[in-house]
Amino acid sequence: MAGDVGSSIAKGLSERQSSSSAWTGPGQQAYVIADVNLRNPVANPLGSTTPRKPVLSVSARKIKDNAADWHNLILKWEALNDTGFATANNIANLKTRLWSEDGTELQSSPASGEDVHKTLPEYSKELETLCEELQTTFDALAKIQMKMEKLSSTTKGVCELENYHCGDGRHRPPLFHTWPTAHFYEVSRKLSDMYQKELLLKRTVIEELAHTTDHDLTLSYLSMWLHQPYVETNSKLLLESMLLETGHRAL
Amino acid sequence: MTPEQPLLAVHEALRKCFPVVEEQQGLWQSTLRDSQPLLASLSNLAEQLQAAHNLRFGDVPPLRAFPDLKERLRRKQLAAGDTVLDKLGERLATLLKVRDTVSRHVEQVLEIYEQHADSIGIDTVLQASVVSPSVADMLEWLQDIERHYRNSYLKRKYLLSSIQWGDLANIQALPKAWNQISEDEHQSLVQDTLLNVSFFLEE
Repeated sequence: MAGDVGSSIAKGLSERQSSSSAWTGPGQQAYVIADVNLRNPVANPLGSTTPRKPVLSVSARKIKDNAADWHNLILKWEALNDTGFATANNIANLKTRLWSEDGTELQSSPASGEDVHKTLPEYSKELETLCEELQTTFDALAKIQMKMEKLSSTTKGVCELENYHCGDGRHRPPLFHTWPTAHFYEVSRKLSDMYQKELLLKRTVIEELAHTTDHDLTLSYLSMWLHQPYVETNSKLLLESMLLETGHRAL
Repeated sequence: MTPEQPLLAVHEALRKCFPVVEEQQGLWQSTLRDSQPLLASLSNLAEQLQAAHNLRFGDVPPLRAFPDLKERLRRKQLAAGDTVLDKLGERLATLLKVRDTVSRHVEQVLEIYEQHADSIGIDTVLQASVVSPSVADMLEWLQDIERHYRNSYLKRKYLLSSIQWGDLANIQALPKAWNQISEDEHQSLVQDTLLNVSFFLEE
């Protein structure tokens, strides 16, 4: 979990904070950009030696906001993932109970053919409630994923704007420390793709979990939900390096 | 030097040592307790790995859209396992510290005793009173306690070093094996000893 968010990210609302930056998870601090930081010329270590103004350009501001948004969205995603996992776990346990009450042996083949449906236990109100709960969590995850897509496309927009202004191949000073602007888009894209695939997998899990009778498959669905195989291990590194580059984390 | 002084020196060393044992025992117990959820989560991970291993993902129609899922899931599960193993390694290091601290203090007491053994005399060493066990008993208890930590630490270290992801059944049985070590031990050894010396320590 990204619970150990450093205090180096400025807390508090900046007056131009977009609403999407204000995502908070339950019990988690929303980290948004304070204007103090944005105006601080320290963000540019080269200071007066570069032609840049001490105040961050509009593009840099946007990129910096996006980085904070990424951080907050991923926190929120993780919190929802935990919530969803608890629900999915309850669904699996309830199903096991219903099956054993029904006197039906758990089938050991992963086949989900028609014969399985014949032996499905009685309609359970409790199971339905849990499934609805999981669906709600999934919908919230899907919303987050949409916001992630938006972040990627605004970053792309910033890149295109820069290309438009500097199309003649003039020297482009980096917006912050070392990253060319296009690199922010690459990172955003990579992260978006991971979460998009993960969302697809989660959709499969919520669709199948309550209909699966096989123990190994049920357990694997739970494990998939928990471990998020498409959110790669380097996603943390990508996020952290973006926070570092934009000055949210101290060097 | 008066004839009592060597005995007093040994008593003083003993009085310093037992409170250290008591404190270390607290740390030992809490570390063992803290390890249990970690072992349970390793065991649970082994079950997840086993379940995914048993499955043929290609035979599950909804999962066909994710051709690399099995490998990805396994990688994530193993990574989670490594994190837990690291934490268990830290617990084990704490147990080792307890063992070493106790050994060091017991050794010091024995050294002091050996320095004075001749002048104290065997009769005095064996003499117990209403409030105080004999020096010989107390030294023996300390050695028992030291041996207890040594053995227990080694067994636990051996158990954890036997963990291999290729042997999932073994990992699933870890919590039981861990508790079995405690059950096989003389569980109240340290507590009983501390009770036996409680009056002596208050003297």
